[in-house]
Amino acid sequence: MGGQERCFFPAPNVLPMKHLLSKRFRQEIEGLLFVLPYLLLWGTFVLWPLGYGVYLSLFDWHPIRGSKFVGLTNYIALFKDVRFLNALSNSFKFAAMVVPLVLIIAFLFALLLWGWKGNRRLSSFAQAVFFFPYLLTVSVIAITWRWLLDPDFGFVTFIFKYFRIPAPTFLSDPFWALPAVALATVWWLSGYRMVVFQAALGDIPQELFEVAILDGAHLNQILFRVILPLMKPAILFSLVLTTISAFRTFGQVLMMTEGGPGRATEVLALYIYWNAFEYFRIGRAAAAGVVMLFFTLLLTLLGVKILGLRSELY
Amino acid sequence: MKKFLGVLVGIAVSWWLVSFGQVVEIEFNTLFHEADAKAMENIVNLFQSLHPEIKVRLVQGRWAQYYAELRLSVIAGNPPQLGICHVNRLVEMVDYLTPLDASPVGNLLELGGIDPALFPEATWKAGQMGGHQYLIPLDTHGWGLWYNKDIFAAAGLDPDKPPQTYDEFVAACEAIKKAGYYAFHPAEDALPRKLRRAWEIFYYQMGGELFDPAFTHATFNNEKGLKALEFLVNIFNAYGWNVVGGNGYAQFTAGKLGMLFAGNWFYPTVKQSGVNFGYAPVPNLFGIPYTWGASHQLCIPLQPAGTPREVYLAAMKLARFITENAYLWTMTGGHIAANSKALEDPRLLASDYWKESGHILNDMIQKGLVRFPINHPRGSELENAIETYIELAVVGQISPAEALAKAEAECNRILQGG
Repeated sequence: MGGQERCFFPAPNVLPMKHLLSKRFRQEIEGLLFVLPYLLLWGTFVLWPLGYGVYLSLFDWHPIRGSKFVGLTNYIALFKDVRFLNALSNSFKFAAMVVPLVLIIAFLFALLLWGWKGNRRLSSFAQAVFFFPYLLTVSVIAITWRWLLDPDFGFVTFIFKYFRIPAPTFLSDPFWALPAVALATVWWLSGYRMVVFQAALGDIPQELFEVAILDGAHLNQILFRVILPLMKPAILFSLVLTTISAFRTFGQVLMMTEGGPGRATEVLALYIYWNAFEYFRIGRAAAAGVVMLFFTLLLTLLGVKILGLRSELY
Repeated sequence: MKKFLGVLVGIAVSWWLVSFGQVVEIEFNTLFHEADAKAMENIVNLFQSLHPEIKVRLVQGRWAQYYAELRLSVIAGNPPQLGICHVNRLVEMVDYLTPLDASPVGNLLELGGIDPALFPEATWKAGQMGGHQYLIPLDTHGWGLWYNKDIFAAAGLDPDKPPQTYDEFVAACEAIKKAGYYAFHPAEDALPRKLRRAWEIFYYQMGGELFDPAFTHATFNNEKGLKALEFLVNIFNAYGWNVVGGNGYAQFTAGKLGMLFAGNWFYPTVKQSGVNFGYAPVPNLFGIPYTWGASHQLCIPLQPAGTPREVYLAAMKLARFITENAYLWTMTGGHIAANSKALEDPRLLASDYWKESGHILNDMIQKGLVRFPINHPRGSELENAIETYIELAVVGQISPAEALAKAEAECNRILQGG
């Protein structure tokens, strides 16, 4: 090649204007073709259902007897329904418990593993142990925790009894039920976020730590002035993912409590599920889905606004 | 070349005969799982061995979303040709089912040779709506009293004489509690809907009704409803017969529980656990010894226009076969067959299940002591409203009086279209 890059097109300076435009156009087409398979799938399985969901939310949907356009009636009915408001509130409470806990625990695990990186065996073993719950399906998580918290046979109950402390009936107590489901969720999700944080920690140039230490920075200064600012994109990514997961939580609630006791753990996704698949009120369920999407987007944008998209490094 | 073409034509004709001329393909969707699913699979396999001209695709195991899927399959124009419908769901599902006596190809009950006289009158009539028959009864299932004979003996009770009156029942519970066991669990695994069923049993035994006949308002917030709920709440609290959140199934199979209200589907589990168990009717605690129960029935979901007559007839042939051979259903699944001929089958009468529990549940059914769930287009929502507050009362979050008042208010809101 003689140090010259291989070029499929003649050099721009010898091309007339129309060819230049044609090249740009071709590049755009090429780019579009590359993303087209993804766009097609995304459009079919995300965009179209989303649009159809919004459309359905404006109807009293009954395809056999005939659907009726009702405008915003489903939305108005939602905000008059105490059950929906309770589910919305539970979703916020759940997210408020799960998101910070997942991020903090995952970050602490990542720091721990980072500190152990000299001992490869210990580090790999601990990483596998921390990550393992994420490999399990939601049903396994729910059944495992239901048994762990069982008031008769549960291991957690046993520990309480061993230390002669009266054990709460976690899943039957309206005060404890939501935190108990949140705890199971934190156990489940922390491993994956830990891997994200580990990767981000690994990307921080070693020289920055050396300079900080030479400058006499304390541990907390290194943490807050070096590590955390440089991990912003990873934290934002984890924050967004965890917020979405927490707000859409469904399987573990259905399998651990069915939304009870009473409606103490009935979250938005469960409310939608009952309305769609048990009561077959598709219009109302679709409206609740749109509201859930709105709040998920709102929380995500809030996270982006607070943290910003870029790390301090770039 | 001619030979080759001849062979090709021969293959095509044979394929056409097999595909269109002889074998009719139908799909049968059920919501059954575990032992029930196995029992239905056995019956369908038997049918297949006797009727190779009908190919049945059996789809089972979906409980939670079954009715939604059935509706959506009708909407999508791709329904199964045979399905299952709980009798109390008819009112919700009627738009999605074929009227069997007025189908597009004629009266399927007559064409399929279904004789209504073989079924209990009340169960048969429960499958009617708007002057049409939509369902064919398969079974009746319900709750009974399971008790641990070894615990009875340890508590100084007669293992062959389970309690049947209020006084006997309370005395038995106290004796079992004193012996160091959980005395009684009224609601299987204590899920909200199970707690509601337990309360309904107590309330129905007092002669109570949940709603007025026209479903204009709730009628359970009264002295009887309160007494029934207080009794339920006290079981887990004041009486100390069990603990809040306790799983009756697990307690019983672990040999820690003296008595349990549970459905006939518990039989395979308890048998496998090795517990020395006995089975009795639900005791007469408050006047009429009612128990909670329901009925699975067969239905033909609404078929797309132009569905061939042969497909309807094949579905009816399978439906008739299932009801006539429902002894297999009872022996394996535990639900009591609705077809009287199936109930007389000597293989069923000689089975362990029948001797150990089936005949007792059948006795309750024949005496009309099994109360079916409410039948209303928004029945699921009404039940949810009731069970939500019953559970809160059981866990001590609100008082029984408050629970009934809140449940009543929510039910009335639902009944008024809210």
